Amino acid sequence: MRLQLGPAKPATPVREVLHSAALALLLIPATAKAQSAPTDRIDFSSLLYGEQSRTQVIEPMVRFTHLLPDGQSISAQLGIDVITGASPSGALPSGSVQTRTSASGRVITSPAGRIPLAPFRDHRIAFDGEWQKPWSRYVTSTLGGTYSREKDYQSLGLNGKFSTDLMRKLLTVTVGGGISRDTVFPVGGTPLGLSDGSIVHRGSNDKNVTNVILGASRILSRRWMVSINGTQTFERGYLTEPYKVISLMNLATGQPAGELTDKRPSTRNRSSVLFSSVYHLTDDVIYTSYRYYWDTWSVRSHTIDLKYRHALGGDTFLEPLVRYYQQTAADFFTIGLPQGAPLPDFATSDYRLGALRTITVGGTFGFHPEDIPGEWTIRAQFIRQAGNSSPPGAIGIQRNFDLSPPINTFAVVLGYSFDY
Amino acid sequence: MAIRGAGRNGGTSAPLVKRVEDHFVGTFEAMASPCTLLVDTDDPGEAATLLAVAEAEARRIEQKFSRYQRDNPVYQINHSGGHPIEVDDETALLINYAATCYEMSDGMFDITSGVLRRIWTFDGGSDVPARNAVQRCLGHVGWWRVSWDSPTLTLPSGMEIDFGGIGKEYAVDRAAALIGALTGSSYVVNFGGDLYTSGLRRGNRTWGIGIDDPDRTTEAVLCRLEVSTGGIATSGDATRFVRWRGQRLGHILNPKTGWPVTDAPRSVTVFGRTCLEAGTLSTLAYLQGAGARSYLEEQGVQFWIV
Repeated sequence: MRLQLGPAKPATPVREVLHSAALALLLIPATAKAQSAPTDRIDFSSLLYGEQSRTQVIEPMVRFTHLLPDGQSISAQLGIDVITGASPSGALPSGSVQTRTSASGRVITSPAGRIPLAPFRDHRIAFDGEWQKPWSRYVTSTLGGTYSREKDYQSLGLNGKFSTDLMRKLLTVTVGGGISRDTVFPVGGTPLGLSDGSIVHRGSNDKNVTNVILGASRILSRRWMVSINGTQTFERGYLTEPYKVISLMNLATGQPAGELTDKRPSTRNRSSVLFSSVYHLTDDVIYTSYRYYWDTWSVRSHTIDLKYRHALGGDTFLEPLVRYYQQTAADFFTIGLPQGAPLPDFATSDYRLGALRTITVGGTFGFHPEDIPGEWTIRAQFIRQAGNSSPPGAIGIQRNFDLSPPINTFAVVLGYSFDY
Repeated sequence: MAIRGAGRNGGTSAPLVKRVEDHFVGTFEAMASPCTLLVDTDDPGEAATLLAVAEAEARRIEQKFSRYQRDNPVYQINHSGGHPIEVDDETALLINYAATCYEMSDGMFDITSGVLRRIWTFDGGSDVPARNAVQRCLGHVGWWRVSWDSPTLTLPSGMEIDFGGIGKEYAVDRAAALIGALTGSSYVVNFGGDLYTSGLRRGNRTWGIGIDDPDRTTEAVLCRLEVSTGGIATSGDATRFVRWRGQRLGHILNPKTGWPVTDAPRSVTVFGRTCLEAGTLSTLAYLQGAGARSYLEEQGVQFWIV
């Protein structure tokens, strides 16, 4: 049929012509099957993580989600981590081979001039469950529980949050909180802080964590959504790392003369505020966020995150990522303690509480192969972390060594999910 | 707390049905609009199944005919670079319908007029595009420039089509047809204010449909209609308009001048036998500007003009 396309006067009442045309359109056989929406979803992912010459983690995770017809959903997740490798013990390098014993009783040696590493092998099993319930079109609650266990650590947590949509769904406000009751039971007992490690007490140590979150997200236009989230976390109890040590330095030579155990305050209040933006282009999406963090141990950090999701047609996408992170040292962080001087109340040489910067570059590739149901994602990230290689407190021979060598991490995660 | 993904207008929201007095109400978001299904039943399972059907159909049509999606017939046509494109049966029938609307409106209803939206911003502000920008844009508007020999469409390069003016109404009628094949209960399909009601409720009662105040200053409705079977649709400038020389110009554009329709009513609601018929007539009436009322009187349909 070729229609006369030029403007023409209707010969019959417009209404009747439109009605016939509408019927012609609507009488074609329905191509949509009366299919019901999927009610179950399984997500599977496996992390393969190789921290350059340090930690290797294998972390398979499976998550199952069931949707109920009234909008409720229940999900459960099981994750297992197998961690092997070595991480810095906190001790300083020496001019000769150092030898020391590990918490689990093994004897290890470190080459001269290198940061001593403590080997470990651990398994962690984590389970969490979540129940989400919409109370109306505008109010949704989420209740969750978490449990994790490893050789020397157990954590049991409960969390919940309420979200409500306001201003015709243009504004969403979320209020939530959680508590966790953790127990630390170091292998071989808990060493007394800032001691030579010979005094240990048997039994476990408690750590209680409470946190509250407050967030708001606002749709500014069809394309743009911004949000702000604040969190406040209170940690009480045993916050020390039992296996980390601090070197005692000879004041004249800088040569390590002994080691003391790590000791941290028993309270830590952590605060953070996160600003984020999601902007939809025609097909692509730009995500940006900035997070500022501060705590009562004087750690301050900035995180800037930039992601760009580029649609490649169908369900295929590529999402490059860049992240910059920078933190200041805790006020009791030290590279070592001078031998013979009075001891401070608290001290740590754990590099994670020192000044550091990390840069992450990576990306996610998502695809949906024909013939196979489900969505696949491959995520790869390269992380370079650098601290202060020559801190001002270095004495004597310590000035010759790189006290915070850059750590390069490469991680690849394979994910698969499908609805049924 | 994580950013809530690309979410909100992507992804599948979980179906939700809720008992309201003597019927069930289910809601979801699709086609950038809140969508509602009312079912006159006592069985939540039936309501949930019908809601899933309505939602699946709304999403199917959105996926297939939205100009914001890739890999659909609209995308293929708009990126054909002037080459002929063969379309499937459903798309061909929808194009036929649009071509009929073009003829019946003397060229005022035109699915190629969407490119004009690139130069207009209807955010309540007072920016209007330059005269030559409008002229340049009009060079890419006009169904008469298109060659349509079903099922082959040849769209000149630089032009675009979109089914924004009829897609939602089509989805309402389609979803209503699918639901009607599955249930004997009375129901109302309402996608963003364009709706279809399927017949008398139990006890020979009608459904009460409210017509919103276009200013939306209150939750109260302007008037309440009692309807049993048919489609209802509204065209108007409720929230998307531009102010120009003291006039409020709604977002419906005249494809001949490239300007919004002037002297149009704030909103035109039409009652028809299908949602498509109602929606098309309300749009055609609105395009008449000040002549909307007399146009609808001529058509002999029930309507409400604000």
